[in-house]
Amino acid sequence: MKKFIVLATALLIILPICMMTYKSQVLNLSLLPQMVDDVWNFHLSVKPKGEHRTFSFPIPRPGVGVKISDEKLKSKDFEIFIDSSSDSNLATWSSQKVIQNSVTYSARIDLKPIVYKNIQKDFTETYPKALNKFLKTPDLNPEDEAAIALLETAILEGTEDKTSLVRKLYYYVQEEIQRNISNRTIQATLSTGKGSPLIKAKIFNIMARRKNIPSRILVMVRMPEKIEQAEDQKLRFTFANEVFLNNKWIPIDTNRGHFGERPDNFLVMHRNFDDVEKLLSKKNVSYSIQADRARINRYNRAEYKKEVVRSDSIFGRFSLYRLPLPMQTMFTTILLIPLGTLVLALARNLIGIPTFGIFTPILLTLFFRETSFGFGLLFFGVVVLVGILERYVLDKFYLLAVPRLSIILTLIILLMISYSLFSSDISVISQKHLAFFPIVIVATNIERLSIMLAEEGLINTSKTLIGTLIIAILGYLLFSIPVLEMFMFTNPEMLFAIIGILILIGKYKGYRLSEFIRFRDLVRQKNKLKARLK
Amino acid sequence: MIFRDLEALGILGINNRVGRYILRHNKRKNYPLVDNKVLTAERAAAWGIAMPENYMVVENYGSLKNLHLKLQHYDSFVIKPAKGSQGNGIIVIKEIIKEVVNGEARILCRRSNDKLMEIDEVKHHISGILSGLYSMGGQSDLAIIQAKIDKHPIFDDYSYSGIPDIRVIVFEGFPVMSMVRLPTKSSDGRANLHQGAIGAGLNLSNGWTNNAVIRNQVIDEHPDTGHKISGLKLPYWREILELAAHCYDMVELGYLGADIVLTPDKGPIMLELNARPGLGIQIANLEGLVPRLEKIREVAGQKLMARERVDFSMKNF
Repeated sequence: MKKFIVLATALLIILPICMMTYKSQVLNLSLLPQMVDDVWNFHLSVKPKGEHRTFSFPIPRPGVGVKISDEKLKSKDFEIFIDSSSDSNLATWSSQKVIQNSVTYSARIDLKPIVYKNIQKDFTETYPKALNKFLKTPDLNPEDEAAIALLETAILEGTEDKTSLVRKLYYYVQEEIQRNISNRTIQATLSTGKGSPLIKAKIFNIMARRKNIPSRILVMVRMPEKIEQAEDQKLRFTFANEVFLNNKWIPIDTNRGHFGERPDNFLVMHRNFDDVEKLLSKKNVSYSIQADRARINRYNRAEYKKEVVRSDSIFGRFSLYRLPLPMQTMFTTILLIPLGTLVLALARNLIGIPTFGIFTPILLTLFFRETSFGFGLLFFGVVVLVGILERYVLDKFYLLAVPRLSIILTLIILLMISYSLFSSDISVISQKHLAFFPIVIVATNIERLSIMLAEEGLINTSKTLIGTLIIAILGYLLFSIPVLEMFMFTNPEMLFAIIGILILIGKYKGYRLSEFIRFRDLVRQKNKLKARLK
Repeated sequence: MIFRDLEALGILGINNRVGRYILRHNKRKNYPLVDNKVLTAERAAAWGIAMPENYMVVENYGSLKNLHLKLQHYDSFVIKPAKGSQGNGIIVIKEIIKEVVNGEARILCRRSNDKLMEIDEVKHHISGILSGLYSMGGQSDLAIIQAKIDKHPIFDDYSYSGIPDIRVIVFEGFPVMSMVRLPTKSSDGRANLHQGAIGAGLNLSNGWTNNAVIRNQVIDEHPDTGHKISGLKLPYWREILELAAHCYDMVELGYLGADIVLTPDKGPIMLELNARPGLGIQIANLEGLVPRLEKIREVAGQKLMARERVDFSMKNF
């Protein structure tokens, strides 16, 4: 019998490992789908105003922190020429006929943040000729000229190195000038302390160049935040600067407050505004830009599915990746449950943590996972309170137990409804059809809590309650490891290994950790007796 | 290993109890005989093992309606769930008060802790039992109305209300270890260790108390009466052990806890049996169960009579 158990357990644990080895070594399948970075679906459409047969517009260019793939320029009626001779890309569309419709550009763009730390002091005097155009100060009208000269003496006087100059300039423009699109001249902006992003970038640019620092204005697009990811949201151009310090172009954004860094939600369209000012002007062109996240899922399931199917093996035929997507999502969660039972078995049989019911902690874990941890905890607390309150209130009515439990259940459902109606944050509940199912099951266990409270007192009850929560939280932490979830989904044969481990736990005859505490006094007394006998 | 001390003392842990003793020595089909007290009573009557008299068994909600008419014939009684565990759901009524208020007859029940209950409250409690609130798996249950047992005078100084009972662990029919459980104020008159009753270990050879614990802590005196607990010698000691050993023959559970009470008039009677007796008895005796169990295992195959098995235990433990 014992041999049989050992054999069965060994088989259960070794078999899945063999299967995985076979998959990875013989079939050359990966054990996990490849990671996919969040990628932007970028879409630009432009139409020139007036009658033109040809026109140009900047398009994104790959470089540091910018990866571009799947570039599509619709080209049925156009000849397209991309000028990439500078460090920006400029596309030129030309046609036989006058351009009537918009031209489009779309691409997948992967953005990474750029950060320059510890920018050294810079005392450079002369620059290569190629940079000359970034040092040339534009002609200004006398009022603007005077305003800038005044500011210069006020804030930059006596500063030696160029890095410090840039920093002072940045702080002034960033902090002293508020964002406001109504002011369009330098003089007005400086005197009121309000200016558009472009004016701020211009002021910074001019003042840097006057101090012999190569500088340029960037044309950028700010990608939408998650919450504002409305489908038809149109993005506008925004502007920032780059200055040439220590032989590097350092990004500076006086509007959003970034010095020496560019977060990963900014896409550079062109690196020299001077070159494209006319092209972008609203007089000459109308454009619209859209961007949305291509993938929220970090693992590329689609690619893995192709991989599995290609392998043309038994694993390919029976892979979970062949299921429709909603079922896949469901099974991702369901496959975690056995892992939860593992935690539960460890906590109960090896540590000795008491819980309400056997699977209540796992149900709670599922609830936390389907909603959110904070909300889950709060809601569980409310359920516990309702359970206790109900018992106190309805105790006087002498109701039979089943109707009484049903009342608790109904109360919980009432709570859910009122929460969804009165709370603005419906994101917790919407689309998660099954989210509340676990808590409904837990609710039926709750009356036992109030009985326990009456019969065994607050201390024992709180211990059990806390034990239940601890296991639920442990399970939740385990469930929030994305690798684990993908691993189980990709290799469901691991379930056999879990059964194997559960058999091992089931065969454990040793002490529980809690018994060390329970019998502590016994050991102490026994040792005392021994000492006395000596 | 932090468990070295426990191992050296031969202390039985829960996993070991379940895996090595309960699962191997207790046949599942015999569980109902101890888990359902109605069945225990039937079997005990057939075997001639004394138990408290069952006045009646309430089986359905319908019979609740006229229950008070039947109950008022008794001076006192105990209500228990047939499938309860750990003493949950048990109510002891020590006095029935009949009075007439505004021309209406009213029945009040005085509980062992002197709280008064209306007859409707009693009925409500019974309906809770029927619907399974106190039963082990939560399944529906029966309620037993049982004769209340009186306290043996020897316990007068050792018990705060309630009736002390004697737990004997029986392994393959051999008494292994025993303790007397003394109700306290904090256990609300109940003889249950985890509710705060005192567990006082008993020498198997002579029935003297050896040591006492309350909530896993060693104590010397009864917290309510102040009486020293050591120096209590149980009368009918041999009868108690033989009764416990005999219970093994009756239910054929290898690892068994027999709860026995001393009545003032009839001597020891069996109150209930337990297929999963607790481990606190080891603390009460300052002694591990494992060495004793293993010693019994060596002689268990010999098919001895209950009397002979008691001889063995009294000699060896």
